[in-house]
Amino acid sequence: MLLNIISKELKRVFSDRRLVISTFVIPAISIYVLYSLMGNMMGNVLGDIERHTSIVYVSNAPQSFSNYFDTVKDTYNMEVDFGDYDKNEFTERIRSGEVDLLVEFEDQFDAKVASYSDSNQSPEIMTFSNPSEDYSNEAKNNFVFDILEGYEKEILTDRFGNINYVKAFDVDATNQESAILDEKKAAASGLGMIVPMILAIILFAGAMGIGMDTIAGEKERGTMATLLLTPIPRETIALGKVIGLGIVAIISAACSFGAIIASLPNMLSSFGGEGVGPIGLSFSILQYVQLFVIMITLVGIYVGLICLISVRARSVKEAGTYMAPIYMIIMIAAFSTMFSKSGGVALYKFAIPVYGSVTAIKEMFSFELSLMEFGVTSGVSIIVTAIIIKLITKTFNDEKVMFNA
Amino acid sequence: MIEVKNFTKIYHLSKKQMKEQKLKASQKVAVDHINFIAKEGQIFGLLGPNGAGKTTTLRSIATLLNPTKGEIIVQGFDVTKNPTEVRRRIGFLTNELKLDTHFTPAYTMSFFGKLHSMSAKDIDSRTEELFEYFGIKDFANKKISDLSTGMMQKLSIAVSLIHDPEVVIFDEPTNGLDIITARAVTDYLQKLKERGKLIIVSTHIMTVAEKLCDKVAIIIGGKKVADGTILEVLNQTNATNLEDAFFELYKENVGEGV
Repeated sequence: MLLNIISKELKRVFSDRRLVISTFVIPAISIYVLYSLMGNMMGNVLGDIERHTSIVYVSNAPQSFSNYFDTVKDTYNMEVDFGDYDKNEFTERIRSGEVDLLVEFEDQFDAKVASYSDSNQSPEIMTFSNPSEDYSNEAKNNFVFDILEGYEKEILTDRFGNINYVKAFDVDATNQESAILDEKKAAASGLGMIVPMILAIILFAGAMGIGMDTIAGEKERGTMATLLLTPIPRETIALGKVIGLGIVAIISAACSFGAIIASLPNMLSSFGGEGVGPIGLSFSILQYVQLFVIMITLVGIYVGLICLISVRARSVKEAGTYMAPIYMIIMIAAFSTMFSKSGGVALYKFAIPVYGSVTAIKEMFSFELSLMEFGVTSGVSIIVTAIIIKLITKTFNDEKVMFNA
Repeated sequence: MIEVKNFTKIYHLSKKQMKEQKLKASQKVAVDHINFIAKEGQIFGLLGPNGAGKTTTLRSIATLLNPTKGEIIVQGFDVTKNPTEVRRRIGFLTNELKLDTHFTPAYTMSFFGKLHSMSAKDIDSRTEELFEYFGIKDFANKKISDLSTGMMQKLSIAVSLIHDPEVVIFDEPTNGLDIITARAVTDYLQKLKERGKLIIVSTHIMTVAEKLCDKVAIIIGGKKVADGTILEVLNQTNATNLEDAFFELYKENVGEGV
């Protein structure tokens, strides 16, 4: 009986070209186009920043710095003028974007560095840039984090002519594999931030349209009463609808997810992280199983909610009105996990429906999901789904709702 | 057999419904303590004007609504305590029950047949028989949305009869049907009666009732005002036809303002 109802629900969706296009094809294509466009646009912006020659003025530079800079200047796309400049005069030029960066060394910098000890204040280098300007930001980042850091290391090496220290420094500088690892980790944590959220939202979005159409629509068109007149337990009808819609939601989400994966190269290349994708992350079989279970149980809640609202609404239009705030709550739950730190999440948070599931997926991506947390999330989702199915069954028996009596 | 004992249905109205129906009370008694018995091999008619409580009574017999008071027994099963057993034995037809127009008649028959736990063989032979009778055969594999209104109505009837129910409940059987379809339907009801089925129909068209029904109950304002065979009702009211008899009863119970 249950299979009969599920297969009818699936047949209803998959034999209707309009539904197939609106549920599976259009969302997938729009995600692909949107993400690829976003990636290309970001890529263009970043590329443009990289191509830009930074205009940098260095005031009062000590000899040691000029010497150091000469050795590295070919690495940077930077036009550097050394001299003695007045800060006040440059403020306006930096603000207007004419100059990207002004660096000012303290008077007698070299001497102060040489005599520097813990007891007196360290010599200071001041930088002036405009954080709201991309070019200026990039110039400052390059200068402070690359050039000055290198310079500082050189000074330190000169001052503490320690063999061990020099060696350590050398290792760090040539250890390119460790840099790649870092990049991968950064990409993975970025994915861990975005993917659970996107998954949580597209799973709901996929089920929403179809759910309203097949359930509220069925009620509106009078076909639901025909079904309720058959000697099938109400529970079976409710469960059949929920499972049928759940399958549709998962397929719809898979299409959208496929589109995300397909557009990922475009997205990631703009960050210079080529070849880094979720495919590059190696998950164990247990993790795939966990992801699957979390997703299925999350879909249970989603589809249950959509069915319940659709059954209670008198028309598709009314269902749409009720659905909007639920969609908002789902979005908030999904977004709020984006900014939470992974690892060390309190166990009770995994017991919050939807939020717990999204958090669990996020923890899974950063390899920090414990079996206990996984169990709590899935268990709570299953219980919530069961309660919702019970409520749907109750609604089927509610003559006021079903027959407006 | 259908036994309706002291059946009462009270609707609780929301504020919106009170406003829509221009009522001041938050409760509306749709059916007020009615009793009747309908037996196999009979066509039983529930007669009355719109809003008299006919549809409410039929829906309650079909387990879609629960009686507020009293009880309804269908083929030995109480509609509240054993709704599934009741549903197994009835076919309920009304204009408000629709079919999903996306599917074909053949698929729809098979889907509902399965929900009634019928074997594929039984579904096939039953579909063949009903499609043949109602002239749906040539359209069996077309989408329902492509069928004419008359054809759709005939299909609805065929679907509700797929499991060859012992009891057929029909709310306003000829309403909205064209003259040919209406005749096909009333003829089929006669055929079912001959096969020993119990048929209960509601109508406000007295000429239909006169032709079709063996026994009738007349309901006005939720109360039963007369019942028996057509002849008994005519005798009771000294009328020559059912329409006159109905107006006699209406005058008696509601007043002159017809």
